[in-house]
Amino acid sequence: MDLVSDLLKTLDQMVNDQFDSVEFKNFLAVPLTLERGRFYVIQNALYTSNRRDCWGYVQGGAPLEVKRVIWQHESDELINDPRAGMDHYALTVKQGEVIGLKPEDFAEAEIPSMVRACFYAWHHIAMHNHWLTAYTASHMLERRNNGKIVKGGGMSYRVGKKFENELGINLKKMISLDVHVVADTEHSENISEMFERYVKSAEDRDLVLKGARDSMAIDRAYRGALGYYMAQIH
Amino acid sequence: MGAANGIEKMWEELVGLCNAQFSSAPFKRLLSAKFTQARAQQYSIQMAYYVQNRRDCWGYVQGSAPFEIKKLIWQHEEDELIGQKAQGKVDHITLAVQEGEVFGLSAEAFERTARLEGGEVCFSAWIRLAQRSWLEAIAASAILEMRNSGELIEGGSLSQRIGAMFERDLNIPMKKQINNAEHVVMDVEHAHLLMQVARTYATTDSTRRAILRGAKESLMIDRVYRGHLGEMVEALP
Repeated sequence: MDLVSDLLKTLDQMVNDQFDSVEFKNFLAVPLTLERGRFYVIQNALYTSNRRDCWGYVQGGAPLEVKRVIWQHESDELINDPRAGMDHYALTVKQGEVIGLKPEDFAEAEIPSMVRACFYAWHHIAMHNHWLTAYTASHMLERRNNGKIVKGGGMSYRVGKKFENELGINLKKMISLDVHVVADTEHSENISEMFERYVKSAEDRDLVLKGARDSMAIDRAYRGALGYYMAQIH
Repeated sequence: MGAANGIEKMWEELVGLCNAQFSSAPFKRLLSAKFTQARAQQYSIQMAYYVQNRRDCWGYVQGSAPFEIKKLIWQHEEDELIGQKAQGKVDHITLAVQEGEVFGLSAEAFERTARLEGGEVCFSAWIRLAQRSWLEAIAASAILEMRNSGELIEGGSLSQRIGAMFERDLNIPMKKQINNAEHVVMDVEHAHLLMQVARTYATTDSTRRAILRGAKESLMIDRVYRGHLGEMVEALP
């Protein structure tokens, strides 16, 4: 088996394993109430902002060709996703209307301490590592959201289904989650192509794996934190 | 001092600092050189690396800036990194390589020529600056475009002056220096980015100090970098 296809299989296994972790299981097991749903949607907007920070840093450290791929990627996220007719932050805010949230609820939202620690950890990987490590760390969060790779559906799909099953809100009305079910599949495929071009040695592969492992660890901590905070809301 | 007055005063100081670059010894050294073809070739290659470093730094700045400013930087990077395809404009790295043809350079020459050692050190310094707090970081990157704005610099921006030297020494008209000519125009427009940011975010003395700190440190690196370029040019036949 060649280096890259072996690597991609490992990455696929890692994103599937996330859903067997105690942190993911706990998070996905917390029953949704309207208040918990509101908390989640606001936190998801803050998470989206953190992604924009990290992809910017990754763009800074990456080779020119990869910078261009990331710039295109950020077009959907930061400027306008033609699937939604708005950027992804605005999409999350718009989605909030379905559960009674106003724009100021997002603007005034506090980042809980455990979540803040995760955001800083992602910043650190994105800014202070080899670009392949940084790039993979951000990519893995979209790969973990790719329903073609994750058996049983990516995170956005599963959370969307929880809104549908537990709060009676159709996934199509959860516009941000719904768009991400598709967008992150496309994004993770486009971004993944770069591994074919740049992973040429065992050293390159190890840089990718370091980014994947570190980011998935933070992702588990993040989901664990969200589950913890949501369980405190009654 | 009110915020509006403070911003105007800061802007005047920034413009003054940009103009002062041209009175510094490293800038004078570079701008007093006489260009031969060999010198222009090396200068052109090293400037392509400079443009690449700008892309690194603006990426980091985009990462740390607030959401609305991220959008401005993303748009700024469209010209630089992607080009304006609808207007038939290529990205600025490609443009630098295309401009190299008028100096007798092939695309391969850009790939096989190493970065100037002193340039490498300056590039690392600029990256470190780009990873500081976002106001310092954005000022550090934006000030280099202010220094290249013919609207703000008396006697012409750096791109204009170098372009004039190529014209004088090598008989290459400005319109054939497609990269220089593009930056003469684009950096006038890009130079206003920092003021756009300042109007919303430079509302306190400490935020204005952060902007000035980033700008001053970047201009210091700029002087060192131009000094290395001047030395390189002089060492060539």
